[in-house]
Amino acid sequence: MEEQGSPTVRRGGPECLSAVSAETIESLTELEDLERIYAQLCAEETDVQNELETLVAQQSTIETKMLALQRMGPNLQLIEGDATQLSGMISFTCSLAENVSSKVRQLDLTKKRLYQAIQRADDILDLKFCTDGVQTALRNQDYEQAAAHIHRYLSLDQSVIELSRQGGESSAVEASLALLQEAELSLKALVTKRLEEAVASSDLPQVERFFKILPLLGLHEKGLALFAQYLCSQLASKAEENLILAVGSDVGERRAPVIFADTLTLLLEGIARIVETHQPIVETYYGPGRLCTLLTHLQKECDTQAQKIVNKFIQQRDYHSKFQVVQSSMMRGVTTEKIEPRELDPVLSEVTLMNSRAELYLRFLRRRITADFEVADAMAAEAVSQEHQQSLERLLKDCQLSRTMQELIGYYIPMEEYYMRETVNKAVAMDAAETGQLTSSMVDDVFYIVKKCISRALTSGSSDCVCAMINHATSVLETDFREVLVCKLRAGYPVSALQDLQRGVSSAVSMMQSSLQHGKIQTLGIESQEQAKSAYLVTLNNVEVCSANIITLKKNLENDCAKLFSQGMGSEHAQAKIDSCLSDLVNTSSKFKDLLQEGLLELNNTAIKPQVKPWISNFLSISHNIEEEEFSEYEANDPWVQQLIVQLERLMAEFKVGLSPVIYDTLSSLMTNLIAMEMEKTVFKCTFSRLGGLQFDKELRSLVAYLSSVTSWTIRDKFARLTQMATILNLERVSEILDYWGPNSGPLTWRLTPAEVRQVLALRVDFRSEDIKRLRL
Amino acid sequence: MSMEDYDYLFKIVLIGNAGVGKTCLVRRFTQGLFPPGQGATIGVDFMIKTVEIKGEKVKLQIWDTAGQERFRSITQSYYRSANALILTYDITCEDSFRCLPEWLREIEQYANNQVVTILVGNKIDLAEKREVLRQRAEEFAEAQSMLYLETSAKESDNVEKLFLDLACELIREAKQNTLDNNDTAPMPGEGKTISYLSCCSSLN
Repeated sequence: MEEQGSPTVRRGGPECLSAVSAETIESLTELEDLERIYAQLCAEETDVQNELETLVAQQSTIETKMLALQRMGPNLQLIEGDATQLSGMISFTCSLAENVSSKVRQLDLTKKRLYQAIQRADDILDLKFCTDGVQTALRNQDYEQAAAHIHRYLSLDQSVIELSRQGGESSAVEASLALLQEAELSLKALVTKRLEEAVASSDLPQVERFFKILPLLGLHEKGLALFAQYLCSQLASKAEENLILAVGSDVGERRAPVIFADTLTLLLEGIARIVETHQPIVETYYGPGRLCTLLTHLQKECDTQAQKIVNKFIQQRDYHSKFQVVQSSMMRGVTTEKIEPRELDPVLSEVTLMNSRAELYLRFLRRRITADFEVADAMAAEAVSQEHQQSLERLLKDCQLSRTMQELIGYYIPMEEYYMRETVNKAVAMDAAETGQLTSSMVDDVFYIVKKCISRALTSGSSDCVCAMINHATSVLETDFREVLVCKLRAGYPVSALQDLQRGVSSAVSMMQSSLQHGKIQTLGIESQEQAKSAYLVTLNNVEVCSANIITLKKNLENDCAKLFSQGMGSEHAQAKIDSCLSDLVNTSSKFKDLLQEGLLELNNTAIKPQVKPWISNFLSISHNIEEEEFSEYEANDPWVQQLIVQLERLMAEFKVGLSPVIYDTLSSLMTNLIAMEMEKTVFKCTFSRLGGLQFDKELRSLVAYLSSVTSWTIRDKFARLTQMATILNLERVSEILDYWGPNSGPLTWRLTPAEVRQVLALRVDFRSEDIKRLRL
Repeated sequence: MSMEDYDYLFKIVLIGNAGVGKTCLVRRFTQGLFPPGQGATIGVDFMIKTVEIKGEKVKLQIWDTAGQERFRSITQSYYRSANALILTYDITCEDSFRCLPEWLREIEQYANNQVVTILVGNKIDLAEKREVLRQRAEEFAEAQSMLYLETSAKESDNVEKLFLDLACELIREAKQNTLDNNDTAPMPGEGKTISYLSCCSSLN
């Protein structure tokens, strides 16, 4: 059917259905064209055929789908009905829920109001109950009960009471309140009075009883003050007793020299014990954060009692008069009245002990009060805890105990300084050098004293006191003691008559005459000269040991301080102060080193130079312009160098025995420099033959070998110039120098300038000056 | 000796009656603070500040001493090693000015003779309460050949200048010393802690 219709449609349809229109076909005249069009039409036909077949094949599928759709129609109507029903249900439930919850809210509010009403009723009942209870309790003298009622009343919400007063039942409440207020006042007065009475009669059970009641009435401050008053009276009587015992104690007793320090310790320990025993009660009944208040009250008594002990100490130990003697003798230097430093020993120890106890006690207070505040201020505002911190600082810094101790230390420091200076002077005066010892007794003695004084200052536990003593020690070592050593070195190293003799003919003659005339005196002179010599050497050793001892002292003190700091003495700041003072102390060490260097130079100039110089100038008297014969004679009988070595050996032997190895080494080095310098000068004054040059080379080698064997310094370097001179003097011909010069020098570094090389070449008698001039260096 | 990061180290010690403002001067200079209601200094306090002057690092070790009498023996022990002393009084307190001769005697007795002393009148912010006229203080300072400066730690007036001027003066003296020491053989004894020879630029 469709197949038939299709051509109709085609035929009647527009031409565009086919690529070729009917008119085109009709207008065709050529066979070729016709055939081409025909083929084209045939292809079109096949396409259309295929399309039709596809469409027909789809028919059954479409029909099945249509059938399914028709069946679904009634189901959809059902679903729509259900959905409408569900929506209605939901909106209903929602409004129901809202309804219920608003009811619940209303109920809640009602409940709250109800509770408030009950609370208020309770409060009013309580108020009535308290009113009745207080009166009964007061009648029965049951103060705890009465106070509990008042406490209950005080902890009632004040606004509720106000409301009640305005409410209907005002008159009844009003009456109760009036009664309660009256009861509160009378109870406060009564309990306070009873506590005062108990305190006055030192009745501990009653004191504790009423002490516990006062905070219930809001009288915290009053309670603490009265309790402290009781504790103070206990403290005072105990302290007075102890002081009487101390004053009356036997002088021979073991603790007698520190009896006042002991008495002070007892007082401070007593307070510490009070804190230990009573802090729990205070904390339980008064809450945390009250310890500072209690201790502020106690500190007043502590101050009074401590002052009494210190006054007795000052009086019995003549503390102030000793100080005055010390002060005046330090001011004027020479005085009629002088105090034996040993006499100060016990009193100085006792003062430092007292101060260390006080420091310990104040540290204890700080620790305890800080801990107590920490508990109380855990939730408090910053300002409150700052206020607390300040009150703690005020207590510790401004208390009379601190001030009294500072005063004692203020007197202690000049006395300890005096002790140190005087004892050091004594050690210097009693200085003794045992034969065979490199140093004398005073060095060890002085450092022992200085260490002792600073250590004693350390036991005081006051960093300022330690710093002051370190400063004084620095001054004593750097000025006083160093001056002593400087004076000893100024005396100089004596030159013996024998050495003088070698100095010059004219003086030798007069010396000889005088020694012949005063034979006896001369030997005595030599003896005292020997003493002066060894004294000089000992002083040099002393100076060296000083600079080493200062460093040891500093290390020891650092360790001691570290120990004390680990036990809680002072702050980081205090440590920094001490470190700074110690570093000043250590700086003095280098001043002693400088002094040593000076002393050695002096020794070199006075004892070595005048001797060595003539020995070396003897070289001039040995001709180095020699032939074969003299050369072999020199070989058989050494003319100079062996004797020089023997002389040097003898000269240095004394120093080797008398000086510490380090100093001796430095001195040898100075001597070596001197020899090298003098040799150089001397050689320039000589003339040499070829064999003479060889002889000089041999001599120089022996000398260098000897000097290397006696010093630990490398001396080759010091003799480099001389060795190079010997090389030049050993040349065959002038031009041979060029084998060693400039690019041919190899590893050798020339220490001689070209001018000097020419100068040395000129010393050879067999070198012509024209050849030397012609050299290109 | 030590390779620390400075060219000069000077010790400056502040002295003078209690309550004239020594601690406040030091705090103002070292920390830029003026803490009111400071308690009295106990013993000796010390602070360090390093400043740069003409390209040279100068470490100032400042010792702030307690003015109260009972600490005198502690504070005196610091005089000897001090390179400079700042003698302070309070311009609103005649008493603190009248005590100056006593302080000068202390300096005479304990300090080394090369010490540089500067007189400082503090609290010029309280001009209406002034009791010591500037001219009088200047004359006194001149008679004792001291430098003189008026300061206010509270208003930070002249505080920097005080310490910096002092540092300049100390550098000048240190340089002078090294020059002198080079002329003569180095004498043992009183030597300055610092001896650096650097090219001498004149300070004004």
